[in-house]
Amino acid sequence: MVSPTISTEHLTRRFGDLVAVEDVNLRVAPGQFFGFLGPNGAGKSTTIKMLTGLLAPTAGRIQILGLDLVSNMVEVKRQIGVVPEGMALFGRLTGSEYLNFVGRMYGLDRETASKRTAELLDFMQLTDQPKALVTDYSHGMQKKLALAAAVIHGPRVLFLDEPFEGVDAIAAGTLKAMLQRMIGRGATVFLTSHVLEIVERLCTHVGIIHRGRLVAQGSLEELRAGVEARSAGLPGAVTGASPGEKLTLEQIFLLIVGGSRSDGQELSWLG
Amino acid sequence: MPRNGLSLAPHARQQLAAVAQLRGRIFANSLRTFRGRLELASHIFVGLAFVAGGLGGAVGLGGAAWFVVSQRNAEWIGGLLWPVFLFWQLFPLMATAFTQNVESSNLLRFPLSFRSYFLIRLAYGSLDPATAVASLWLLGINIGIGVARPALFPWAMIVLLTFALVNLVLARMLFAWLERWLAQRRTRELMGILFFLFILSFQLIGPLIAVYEHRSIPETRILGQELSSAQRPLPPGLAAAAIAGAVPSQPGSHIVTASVVPFLLLGCYGIAFLWLLNFRLRAEYRGENLSESVGRKALIGGLPAVRPGWNLPGLPGPVVAVFEKELRYLSRSGPMLFTLIVPLFMLAVFRSSGKNEGLFGHAPQLTFPLGAAYSLLLLTNLSYNNFGADGNGTQFFFASPVRFGQIMLGKNLAHTAVFGVEVLLVWLGTCLLYRPPSIGVTLATLAGILFVLPIDLAAGNLFSIYSPSRIEAGVFGRQRASLTTVLASFAIRGALFSGGAVLLWLSRGYRNSWMELLIFLLPAAFAIAAYVFALNRVDGMALRHRENLMSSLGRRQ
Repeated sequence: MVSPTISTEHLTRRFGDLVAVEDVNLRVAPGQFFGFLGPNGAGKSTTIKMLTGLLAPTAGRIQILGLDLVSNMVEVKRQIGVVPEGMALFGRLTGSEYLNFVGRMYGLDRETASKRTAELLDFMQLTDQPKALVTDYSHGMQKKLALAAAVIHGPRVLFLDEPFEGVDAIAAGTLKAMLQRMIGRGATVFLTSHVLEIVERLCTHVGIIHRGRLVAQGSLEELRAGVEARSAGLPGAVTGASPGEKLTLEQIFLLIVGGSRSDGQELSWLG
Repeated sequence: MPRNGLSLAPHARQQLAAVAQLRGRIFANSLRTFRGRLELASHIFVGLAFVAGGLGGAVGLGGAAWFVVSQRNAEWIGGLLWPVFLFWQLFPLMATAFTQNVESSNLLRFPLSFRSYFLIRLAYGSLDPATAVASLWLLGINIGIGVARPALFPWAMIVLLTFALVNLVLARMLFAWLERWLAQRRTRELMGILFFLFILSFQLIGPLIAVYEHRSIPETRILGQELSSAQRPLPPGLAAAAIAGAVPSQPGSHIVTASVVPFLLLGCYGIAFLWLLNFRLRAEYRGENLSESVGRKALIGGLPAVRPGWNLPGLPGPVVAVFEKELRYLSRSGPMLFTLIVPLFMLAVFRSSGKNEGLFGHAPQLTFPLGAAYSLLLLTNLSYNNFGADGNGTQFFFASPVRFGQIMLGKNLAHTAVFGVEVLLVWLGTCLLYRPPSIGVTLATLAGILFVLPIDLAAGNLFSIYSPSRIEAGVFGRQRASLTTVLASFAIRGALFSGGAVLLWLSRGYRNSWMELLIFLLPAAFAIAAYVFALNRVDGMALRHRENLMSSLGRRQ
């Protein structure tokens, strides 16, 4: 049996009285493109922060590539790439200076860092304004730069928090191409996204977190089979699918987290 | 007509109340954290100093007003109003740590009428410490005038109230325009440099006084008359003229010409400032586009040329990377670069502030050590708020496989390099403007730096972790460390410099340069050991405080 690239045991995080993540047991196998979904405030970003060492868990254990995160923090970080929620860019550097800086921080020598920087800038189509500072980049350009920085050292695992948020179709295409290449080279990608169509198209496996608890985990087919088995006999109006039609990820998601709203519910002042 | 409870023109008073409530809520919420409570304590401490300054100034200025009016020299009130005017306008600009300002984008997304927006922007200014202190001073002047001449009290009150309103509007107008220029990086850099030069120019007042204090009485009197006529058309001069003109004993003067005309001209200033403020706020209200996003150019084939990063033999790559990044950041901060010339400028100012060798004429051997100590003070916002300029980038440091000790070391080395350049400039300035410091003083100063700098950097690292403050170049008043950090840094430097002075005093007893050096080197060795000890513990501290660091530096306030 292949040992998982990412695994958590009873992962829990509390903020005072609020339990943001509770007893999460994740398993992500090598080479998987894993989509981590959940409604707003479900605990996605908190989980990804804990998996990348940006936040300490209150309880539980995290293993990345078979290494315990707490006792091997530096070694784990060396092998992962992260695009966190705020992108973690340094605004007063140019794109090439930033990538060079990140490369050196991940232990690349000067020549390798500059060579990879040039390739990444070209691949991400960020060569237009070599002297522009990152702070002057558009949001999409910043996202591409953040992803470029996350892969410059050739990580074995990539954690991406909402990589497609605020990104136009052209930039999204570039990002997707980059991620597919990473998967093709045997890397594992763990991403959170609200855009379920993208997750459905890209991800091979999905985990769904709801109110801090992991409520579903598996391949898309496994999730679909599970939901269909549970909702057997229910009318199409409830599942949202026509007879004989496969459930989409959105339908699966809504059925799992119970996100449907009755048509009768309305706001008093909107009539 | 309201539709579905939504008023088409929301009431300005409701919105003002909502903003006031919001400020109150933000304040109350800030007290939930220890850092917030510490910041409140710092504000109370500073607030008490303001109250003392305000009341003391009010009594002093009131007494002076009573004296000049009793002596039938009411036109000299201008001499009292100028300090009030300068303090009101310049203090908020120079001491941004005590300044509160609102970010317009936070307000403009609400359905505010222009009137409400205007009033809210104006209301923010009325809560500034400068406004409160200057208002107290004006009250003191008014009371002083009233005691000397009770009949003049009501008119003086009207004039001083108008003067206060003119000041209030002028201060808000200056802030609004400054924000406009700060909104774009290039104008921001330019503004920073101009502002910096403006602040520096104040240091020339001392030498100017020194130049004129040796002039003959008639010469000084002529200068005084020239200055007096030059200030008359300006707001403090007009307010003073309006009050003085109402004194009936002024021979040959007509009360309307002497009093009402200056008052009306003062009002004209107020209207002009209001118009300029209105002009600026209207542009903001309409949603001006100050975007600096880079445009797309035609793509050129081939890989871009990328220069490799710096190389500092003997240091690990990540430390060099942080060192390079810090210096690149500094090189793109115009105002920060200009601070490099401040010590030299101050040496020149002191040199020209009197005969012979100016202020240091009595103790020229202190020029170099004091210049070096002053250079260290200029690094406060850098070394005591290491991550302030990094903002969201701080997350990267936690995500990277580099120990925090190495990151801090890279930053400390960069700040030490800047300080080293400063000290070299000070030494050169001392040689050129005064006389070369003796070898003993030079060596003792360098050894003193070896004692002070490591402890200062270690303390700066701790404050950077425990009390971080995001620096936002585009928002006025958000370019500095937290008030707690600034006060603490002053206390630490005070203790370190006192220690250095004691060591210097002890070493002078031996009258031997090498002994002086040795006396400084021994504590320096302890200081370096303490720095290394603290640096080795930075990892744990940073990890324990990572959430506070990332949330404080990541969010816009």
